[in-house]
Amino acid sequence: MLTIALAKGRTAEGVMPLWQEAGLPIPADLDDSRALVFEMADTEFGWLRFLLAKPADVPTYVSFGVADLGVVGKDVLLENHRDVFELLDLEAARCTLCVAGLPAHRDTWARKVATKYPRLADQYFRSRGMAVETIVLSGSIELAAVIGLADRIFDLVQTGSTLKANGLVVYDRVLEVSARLIANGSSYRTQRSRMESLLDRLRQTVAIHHRMD
Amino acid sequence: MPKMSLDMQGKWADRPLGMRDVFPQQAKLRWQVESRLVRLFDAQKFELVSCGTFEYVDTLLRGRAEEESRDWVRLLDSSGRMMALRPEMTPSIARMAAPLLAAGMPEVRWCYGERVYRRTDDPASLSWASGRAAESTQVGIEWIGGSGDAVDAQVVSLCQSGLQELHLAEWQMVVSHAAFAPEFFQALELPKETIQDLLRDLSRGDYVNFRSLATASGIHQDLLQVLADLNPLHAGSLPLWLTERWQQTEAGHRVQTVWNKLVDFGQVLQQKNLANHLAFDLTLVRDVSYYTGIVFEVFAPGAGAPVALGGRYDDLLGQFGAPAPAVGFAYEVERLLTALTAGEWLAESDQNGGV
Repeated sequence: MLTIALAKGRTAEGVMPLWQEAGLPIPADLDDSRALVFEMADTEFGWLRFLLAKPADVPTYVSFGVADLGVVGKDVLLENHRDVFELLDLEAARCTLCVAGLPAHRDTWARKVATKYPRLADQYFRSRGMAVETIVLSGSIELAAVIGLADRIFDLVQTGSTLKANGLVVYDRVLEVSARLIANGSSYRTQRSRMESLLDRLRQTVAIHHRMD
Repeated sequence: MPKMSLDMQGKWADRPLGMRDVFPQQAKLRWQVESRLVRLFDAQKFELVSCGTFEYVDTLLRGRAEEESRDWVRLLDSSGRMMALRPEMTPSIARMAAPLLAAGMPEVRWCYGERVYRRTDDPASLSWASGRAAESTQVGIEWIGGSGDAVDAQVVSLCQSGLQELHLAEWQMVVSHAAFAPEFFQALELPKETIQDLLRDLSRGDYVNFRSLATASGIHQDLLQVLADLNPLHAGSLPLWLTERWQQTEAGHRVQTVWNKLVDFGQVLQQKNLANHLAFDLTLVRDVSYYTGIVFEVFAPGAGAPVALGGRYDDLLGQFGAPAPAVGFAYEVERLLTALTAGEWLAESDQNGGV
């Protein structure tokens, strides 16, 4: 059996079309169920088990070998380093890590930064010679800038509509990120052939999209 | 049932970060596995040795790169000299063996069963099964003074017989060669820094970065696939374009030599009936820089990381003052126990220790 951990929400939604286009099996009720584990039998890949996990937990499941494969954003992999193999850039669920804030603060010196990515934010600001205080929040980061808890936010931006709705603007686009297919090293070495056929399909589909772009 | 509650008053002593208690049944099982392996080694004329848990950092760093020390647990001795809790046994064995070899002992065949240490944030129960545990048990051998395919095959054989001795149902050994990938990249005339980066990507399994780096270096073939498809058990898996290319350069000759050695070694393994649960995978690059020859890892379902690891390190003893070829491997005992008991071993110590 192959266990695949999917990052719930944006990443899973962004990757599923690609997954289906590649002709890979997916449980029918994945979208509209509250269940977290889905098992299915597939003629080509045998038993497959899908786990829906919080994005930050996907590398954890994979590194401990409870999941053989995982689908998760590069931002998560960069922030929480874990021993996992990064097999493929799926080039889907694209987002940008951005520094943003109120228009009025744009030209001020950064002092307080609210983020879900303390490590990356620290790296970014230190590399620019700025000593900032990092405030770690777990969601709705925009709020911190709106109410003045922080003068910058360091966060993932997909369409920018949340920023706009809250009167915030992007100061700097730091890094483009996309979803990655990751694997447990041990599973990869021992179940290589099974993973490889799945990987080939995805790789071909990604390549087709790449040419269309 | 005793009443359980949160320990609000802080009555119970804390267990240090990453440490794990092992209660009656489990401790016994671990000890049995350790002693069965040590007994097997002893029967094959590998004598048990032991040494202290601390080593000086400069000892541990002989023959290896500074960045490998990142997850060592370091502390200062009373004179201010930097020590570390040993992350593995090989440097200690090299330190102990070098004076004996220099004094004329032709060969050292030792085995050990010891705890080793690493810095980690992971909970012990999970990292024992798969990641880098703060404290774990390694039982292994070091064979200093022997070289050649026959010796390497004997070490592979010993490693496999240990798994059989423990009745591990399913396992897979993956073999590679420490010099192959570096020479392979040199033969492609890639710059030194690129080669370092490619090797790092292979050892970390960062194949996305590997591919983009290879493409950026002007390589049009899928290098990873080329490496993955090479199988020394089938000499014919070496494509003609590679052989032709290798004939043209010095580095090409070197990688051809390593390939020929691997093909020979593959034949020895087949003759000795050691290739049944064994596959070559030349994308396997170990993150330990002292390896010079064959390297191998053993995987078992249920354990998310290798249950045994080893390889040949012919230059390390020179770093300790007594040049000699050497080869060795170690079992990761907690991972073996996890695979042997389908994870029960980790869970039961909680039950027996808990309420």
